[in-house]
Amino acid sequence: MLFGFEWDLSNPLAFAISILPILLIGMWVTIQATVVGFFVALVLGLIFAILKSAPSRFIAWPARLVTEFIRDTPLLVQLFFLYYVLPEYGIVLPAFMTGALALGLQYSAYTSEVYRAGIEAVGRDQHEAARALNLPSARTFTHIVVPQAIPRIVPAMGNYLVSIMKDVPVLSVVTVLEMLNVAKIIGDRTFNYLIPLSMVGGLYLIMTLVASAGVRLLDRYLPKQGLPLK
Amino acid sequence: MTKIPQFAVSTLSAIALAAMAASAANAASLEDIKKAGVIRIAVANEIPYGYVDPNGKALGAGPDVAKKLMETLGVGKIEWVTTNFSSLIPGLKADRFDMVAAEMAILPDRCKQVLFSEPNTSYGEGLLVAAGNPKDIHTYKDFASNPKLKVAIMAGADQLEMMQRLGVPDANVVTIASNADAISTVGTGRADAYAATSLTASGLAQQGKGVEVAAKFTDPVVDGKAVRSWGGFTFASGNEELRDAVNGALAEFKKTPEWNEIVTGYGFTEADVEGSKATDTAALCGGA
Amino acid sequence: MHWTEYLPSLMQGAWVTVQLTLYSTLLGAAAAFVFGIGKLSRNWALRGVSIAYIEVFRGTSLLVQLFWLYFALPLAGNAIGIDLRLPPVLAGVLALGLNIGAYGAEVVRGAIQAVHSDQHEAARALNFTERQTLFRITIPQAIPEMMPSFGNLAVQNLKDTALVSLISLGDLTFRAEQIRNFTQESTTIYTMLLFMYFGMALVVTAIMRLLERFAGRWRVAGS
Repeated sequence: MLFGFEWDLSNPLAFAISILPILLIGMWVTIQATVVGFFVALVLGLIFAILKSAPSRFIAWPARLVTEFIRDTPLLVQLFFLYYVLPEYGIVLPAFMTGALALGLQYSAYTSEVYRAGIEAVGRDQHEAARALNLPSARTFTHIVVPQAIPRIVPAMGNYLVSIMKDVPVLSVVTVLEMLNVAKIIGDRTFNYLIPLSMVGGLYLIMTLVASAGVRLLDRYLPKQGLPLK
Repeated sequence: MTKIPQFAVSTLSAIALAAMAASAANAASLEDIKKAGVIRIAVANEIPYGYVDPNGKALGAGPDVAKKLMETLGVGKIEWVTTNFSSLIPGLKADRFDMVAAEMAILPDRCKQVLFSEPNTSYGEGLLVAAGNPKDIHTYKDFASNPKLKVAIMAGADQLEMMQRLGVPDANVVTIASNADAISTVGTGRADAYAATSLTASGLAQQGKGVEVAAKFTDPVVDGKAVRSWGGFTFASGNEELRDAVNGALAEFKKTPEWNEIVTGYGFTEADVEGSKATDTAALCGGA
Repeated sequence: MHWTEYLPSLMQGAWVTVQLTLYSTLLGAAAAFVFGIGKLSRNWALRGVSIAYIEVFRGTSLLVQLFWLYFALPLAGNAIGIDLRLPPVLAGVLALGLNIGAYGAEVVRGAIQAVHSDQHEAARALNFTERQTLFRITIPQAIPEMMPSFGNLAVQNLKDTALVSLISLGDLTFRAEQIRNFTQESTTIYTMLLFMYFGMALVVTAIMRLLERFAGRWRVAGS
């Protein structure tokens, strides 16, 4: 049994039904890890995007190198690094936080590019018009550029949200009890991997379809030219 | 638009055929193994039961005895496979190796899936804790009485059942994939202790810094009996012939002083040695 | 142990990683073309299979696919009576290849659809058969479009190979984990590991850029 739910080994269907609540508990952890990881990716990505567009080369180039390094190395290894190496320097984060941090870090390399592309896509003429109207640069940024950049970056960010969700199972190697880990524990005890793993595959398919549909819906509701300010 | 390009069809069928050919039909019998001259034996990197050092040399109570047994049986070469503990039984079933020399505990649930040899060793339980035993833990039941404590166990190991039978909440049980991860898990406080066999705990305490064996440990009492485990060699279901051959060689070998030297050399006590002769696999599988 | 002593074992692992990347990228490329083109087929069965393949492999996690092929497939085979026990190498290459192939299929499909319709009209005017149009006109012009995305997918594939260490396949990450388990020297080993992967990724990127330039010869002038 796991999490208080006994499994029923009498026949395949009974087994599948009995482990469903256990898998759903794992799914809840998966969803939480996805959301937290995404949030970290959004925040870190923004920081990297700003650093990479800095006028000074001494800031922009190292930032670019770091994001390239993060982008080109496996999530699994980054996760091991954060989980095992940080404690050697006194930082012991719980497994879930380490996992979410690793996800956020890996995807921040991608989200920083989305930010840059979205901001650059806001046309030259907008900047010229703002200057003609004597708007200070901070105001230009928050009131002109950002509202127009957001509709452009939402679809790409939404896709990364779905990608993060598909990468959550990697967290099982640092003991996070997400859906795949739970299924594997059930398999380890009952020696029946087929049913739990197939159910996890099916549940993932459902989650992905729902999340993708959600992103598409959000995209449709966002006005293409930009968010109205009032 | 058009039909599938011919080259793609041939590539995919070639891969499919290779897949069929690559998977062996059945577990290799003793005859096949002797003919091929090599047997595949798996361990799970658990000191001192069965592990591989960085140079690829297999060591431990299981491997050392297995090497002697294979000599007796006339198998020239052993190919050692390292895998996760939880993959040992699935690996046997999928014919990824012929035998397991990890001193797996002979338990009724496992007997239903695989075949065991007669016991090679016996061992009791133990706990690995952070240096100084700050949470003052001395037995498995402490985790049931103190809900703030977390205990780590290895994936696929029977400590999970023991914990559940003692009433430890599942949320307080941290499952790690590999034995050596315990040093970091306990040392950093992610779990307050690692529940494993006594020798595993002492092996890890020697290997890592900041961890020690919990002193004054008392064996967990489950269903009114103190838990003691018997470890043996494991074979795929249906491979009785190999199992019987190994049993024959093992029975002979256990009578020799060499066996005693190997086993005590790895830290097994006299009590463990005597205990290993106290029962047989039939009794253990029957759930006695 | 000094970090240089880890190198021989790690290099062996790196070689396994290279081979895995190579085979799975080739498999992925094959799958990408087959199912990417298949999705555009008029044959509804072929289109259905292609869509199903793409949705399943893009819609589920790679690690789930890997574990399924490694742990669950043998049991499924038992149930229907065929022997489906895949050796770890094959499970790894299949999972990686099929997964990357699903993403690649969308790239292929997109690139083929992006080929200007003028080309198809011209081909029809010149009495090309559908097959000739596909192979001699559409695909050669679609390939330069696909290459940048394929470059990204190739690096992604390299990173994904690290997951096969979780089914005890002796790649670079597996070797590193073994060493770490024995010596507990996490910082040294993981730092070495990150740099080795970074190095390999740079090499893969360079190779893909070369291929991109090579394929660029097929670009239609002015497109």
